[in-house]
Amino acid sequence: MSGDDDLTGTDPAPASPAASRGRWAYLLLPALGVLTLVFLLPMINLGAKSFHLSVGAGREAAEYTLRNYVAFFSDSLYWELLGWTSVLGALVTLCTLALALPLSYFLARTRSRWRSVFLLLVVAPMLISVVIRNLGWLPILGEHGLVNWLLLSAGAVRDPVHLINNLLGVMIGLVHALLPFMILTLTAVIQRIAPELEEASVSLGARPIATFWRIVLPLALPGIVAGCLLVFSLSISAYTTPALMGGGRVIVMATYIQQQVSTLLDYAKGATVSMILLVWVSALSIVALRFGKSGAET
Amino acid sequence: MTPRWILSALAGCILLFLVAPVVSVAVSSFSGGPIFVFPPSSFTLAWYGQIPPEYFHALTVSLEVGIGATATAVAVGVPAALALVRGYLPFSRALNALCLTPLMIPTLVIGVAALQFANVVYDAFKLSLLESIFGLILAHSAFTIPFVIRAVIAGQARFDHDIEAAALSLGATPVRTFFTITMPALAPSIASGAILAFLVSFDDVPVALFLGGGSATTLPVQIFNGTQFDLSPAILALSAIVSGGVLVFIAISGKIFGLDKFVDT
Repeated sequence: MSGDDDLTGTDPAPASPAASRGRWAYLLLPALGVLTLVFLLPMINLGAKSFHLSVGAGREAAEYTLRNYVAFFSDSLYWELLGWTSVLGALVTLCTLALALPLSYFLARTRSRWRSVFLLLVVAPMLISVVIRNLGWLPILGEHGLVNWLLLSAGAVRDPVHLINNLLGVMIGLVHALLPFMILTLTAVIQRIAPELEEASVSLGARPIATFWRIVLPLALPGIVAGCLLVFSLSISAYTTPALMGGGRVIVMATYIQQQVSTLLDYAKGATVSMILLVWVSALSIVALRFGKSGAET
Repeated sequence: MTPRWILSALAGCILLFLVAPVVSVAVSSFSGGPIFVFPPSSFTLAWYGQIPPEYFHALTVSLEVGIGATATAVAVGVPAALALVRGYLPFSRALNALCLTPLMIPTLVIGVAALQFANVVYDAFKLSLLESIFGLILAHSAFTIPFVIRAVIAGQARFDHDIEAAALSLGATPVRTFFTITMPALAPSIASGAILAFLVSFDDVPVALFLGGGSATTLPVQIFNGTQFDLSPAILALSAIVSGGVLVFIAISGKIFGLDKFVDT
């Protein structure tokens, strides 16, 4: 962090520190300019839109009003939308946590020379297009897919089970898409827990499961909370997976916004629900940051 | 030793779940029977010859947008990350926040904002950014720039400033020190930030769905629309090729720069 001091200290014609800081500041300008243009102004414009009433397709009234927000919070339909999106997010987070814990523990403790291959298998699905991954679920979860073929062949069910184009499909898709984020967060945390603590616990007679519950889990708690907040906020903001795996039948906040904007051209309502989703996600991010800081200090 | 075996088996099953849809795309792309029926009745390579031309066009659009948005991100993001770490700037926390918050914002919201702002720009300047590759590059820059800035900030935290001091004390000019010491040391961070930025741009649906379309339809949006209307196994063939390309890309860059660089979420 002291690179600036080093540079000015040995500069043949030393500039004053303030002037040197000024030089660095210029380097920030292009990024600030572009981000203002492609991010800040569009977001301010979006926020402003949410305070106007919609008058016909793609047009808004000139005067400012809070009516869009009042309408949102006084309609039980919107509370349901907010509630369902959050319940789905919570379920996805719990399933993700349950699946990530064993794999993360394994990855953190294994001495296998295949470890980097396992890590690649975790990271790769995260980076392969989400549309392609969702496409890949069709031959597995579809009516004539792998799972139904196994279930029917085993005689477990008489008729194909509906695993896709419904809420279950959205959940499977989201759990799959967000699992890598949870695994990477947890693996990093578990790696920092000294294995000696577990060895001590086992040598004192605790069974491996008890050791995991009473030693590893409490020590990994800050990471678990951070991972859960991350997965939850990614889950409630997801658009593509609910749209594809829900087959148009599952409406969450993101798909609702898209409908309002693209199909109904109600930009004001789209902007309002966008702002509400944004506030919800930002609140979670701030909690996550606070938690990360307090975790780092202790 | 039994718990070890149970853990390994469990880990294996979860890894299987993770790779399942990718493997499924590859296997189904060779299926000769009706689409999405398991087990496939026969195998064929025919679909690989029947990929519709509009999908190849969409692929080139995606590559152009990804490369454009990544190049923009590197050009403005690397200097910005240097300034943020070394500049001791006033309002540095606010500036940091502005540069990194787009990463926390749902891409769908960025897409809606970009669409509505493009309308404002059109009304004011008669400049249409809709259905254009240039417009998509600008919109994607909102999140590719923060990816590069974040990676280069992290890279500088691991940076040993004594090397720079040594170069300077041995008589190198600050500019020469910067280009022979600082930049090579930061190259892996810049590369990993750029790769991540490219992959996220290449993967984006919501922003490209709102802004793109017409001759500026990206591959994910083309496939997305394909799943709603005419789903042909040829799309699976193209998906398998693209996934294979991305996998090779990740494996190679992981070997060069270390896989851990991509995983600091």
